Amino acid sequence: MSDYVIETHQLTKQYDGKAGCRNITLSVPKGVVFGFLGPNGAGKSTFVRTLLGLLVPTGGSGHILGQPIGSVESRQKIGYLPELFRYPDWLTGQQLLESHADLCKIPRSERKKRIASLLERVGLSGRGNEKIRGYSKGMQQRIGLACALLSDPEIIFLDEPTSALDPIGRREVRELMAELRDEGKTIFLNSHLLSEVETICDHIAIIHRSDLIVQGEWRSLSSVNPQTEITTSSVPDGLWKSLSTIVTEAELLQQEEGKTHWLITLNEEDDIAILVRHLSDLGISLYRIVPRIPRLEDVFMYWVNREEAQQSHVDHR
Amino acid sequence: MWTIAKLTWREILSKRIFHITLFMSFAFLLFYAIATYIAAQEATEQTGGQAVSSDFFLAQTFFATQILGVGLYFAAFVTALLAILSSVGSIAGEIESHQIDTLLARPLHRRTIVLGKFAGLGSLLILYSICLFLGVLAINQWLGGEILRFEMSALQVIKALAVFVLPPLLLIAVALLFSSITTTINGGIILIILYGISFIGGFVEQMGVLMNKTSMINIGIISSLLFPLDSLFRKMTVYLFDTAGDPISFATQGLFGSLSTPSNAMLVYAALYGITALWLSIRRFSSRDV
Repeated sequence: MSDYVIETHQLTKQYDGKAGCRNITLSVPKGVVFGFLGPNGAGKSTFVRTLLGLLVPTGGSGHILGQPIGSVESRQKIGYLPELFRYPDWLTGQQLLESHADLCKIPRSERKKRIASLLERVGLSGRGNEKIRGYSKGMQQRIGLACALLSDPEIIFLDEPTSALDPIGRREVRELMAELRDEGKTIFLNSHLLSEVETICDHIAIIHRSDLIVQGEWRSLSSVNPQTEITTSSVPDGLWKSLSTIVTEAELLQQEEGKTHWLITLNEEDDIAILVRHLSDLGISLYRIVPRIPRLEDVFMYWVNREEAQQSHVDHR
Repeated sequence: MWTIAKLTWREILSKRIFHITLFMSFAFLLFYAIATYIAAQEATEQTGGQAVSSDFFLAQTFFATQILGVGLYFAAFVTALLAILSSVGSIAGEIESHQIDTLLARPLHRRTIVLGKFAGLGSLLILYSICLFLGVLAINQWLGGEILRFEMSALQVIKALAVFVLPPLLLIAVALLFSSITTTINGGIILIILYGISFIGGFVEQMGVLMNKTSMINIGIISSLLFPLDSLFRKMTVYLFDTAGDPISFATQGLFGSLSTPSNAMLVYAALYGITALWLSIRRFSSRDV
């Protein structure tokens, strides 16, 4: 069996040749939190819905746990919390979970215990007997999460799982995702909230305007051009241009009392040492140097900008 | 499939439209009971409660079939409306609200959803139409008195009832087809128009037989082929009002009778029509985006 629990090859779902997702080739390893990122309308939900068989692909192929997408077998061990979560509001939370337990063929002897434990896990303990129509948006998202986890799935698809939650709820869901990963589950997290993904994801893929831009381990993808903040004495004009072999960009952040604060983008991490030596040789005082740890937002913008630059280059040719 | 059927039951039972229909059905039965009682009282007073001649017997049976016919006609109408309103949005509505997403993400064939909904809606509507049918019959038997009570055998009732429950099943199958293809509103409009065509076509056909106009009869036949709902109602009246040993067919009399009697082939056609609609619904729903 493959090391990947989800694999797609050129998977495409388009509407009259437009929008949706296009030629997505993706591999999701087992037991990770996989962040699928992209701005609103990039095609994230379309991709997930195609994987789950809700949409019929217009091209390519895909497998979940070795089973072709769209087949009943591919949905045997998955859980799904949709972005537009809506549940029968005439049922109570408990009845909703019981119905899904029926659909998942969970033995009756296990049901009661499992449902009680899930309601507690998602923070709805004691609220299971209330009608869903009386639930707040956040509570509905929580019952949806319980529904997704009910069958003890190997892969859990969470599409914007914290969109209706307050900050405390968001933290709880992040902790829950970490727990599930520790239990060996794979979580496919669809989100446009980079701060949410940053703290939890091991792997990421970025989709932009229907196309997959990049995918891989968060650690390796975050090694984009290193940046460092430095505070120096005044620097002569044209200094950064003369150091263009190591400095790709220099942004003046602040200037005060003969000191200047810069954000320097370097070609490589090792260039920091060379930069320090050059400044010293030029007699420029260096008061402070702080390497900047790239945030997901920086990484995301880096890859998106790179893609757009390449696209613009192709268009001009 | 039974889980979906169970969910469908719960959904309908929780809907306001069902509660209103139920309430209005009781109101109808009450009104029908009062009307039958008053009509029976007046008829008895006029005749002095005595059967005097064979003419009287013919008139009595004619009135009995008419008053029973109007009750059953309205019962069929209410059942049809409930069938349309409860089923035309059962798939389309859930697709529009995305409520169906989590169901379809379960390891189920999509046909299970369609068949489950058919089983749930069908069983509930069968139960409802049986209650209404027997309610109308009970009122006729208990309150119709000597004049308006229609004499019938158990076999007649069973055969008529078996046909009476078919229209809602046919409507549900066709409604599920439209619900799989188009939106709730579009499906509802198309189905109500089809329903109207069927019943107006049925009346045109009856008048065509009365006036001996082939073109009008043909319109009725075409409308029956387009949607064989009225034919089922006419067939039901034939089973209920016709007695094997009676040389005079009361099933052919009056506004709610059937001058042009639908053949048994029409029953088979209606069954095939419903099965085909259900099969197309499964096919369409299985291959569509949600």
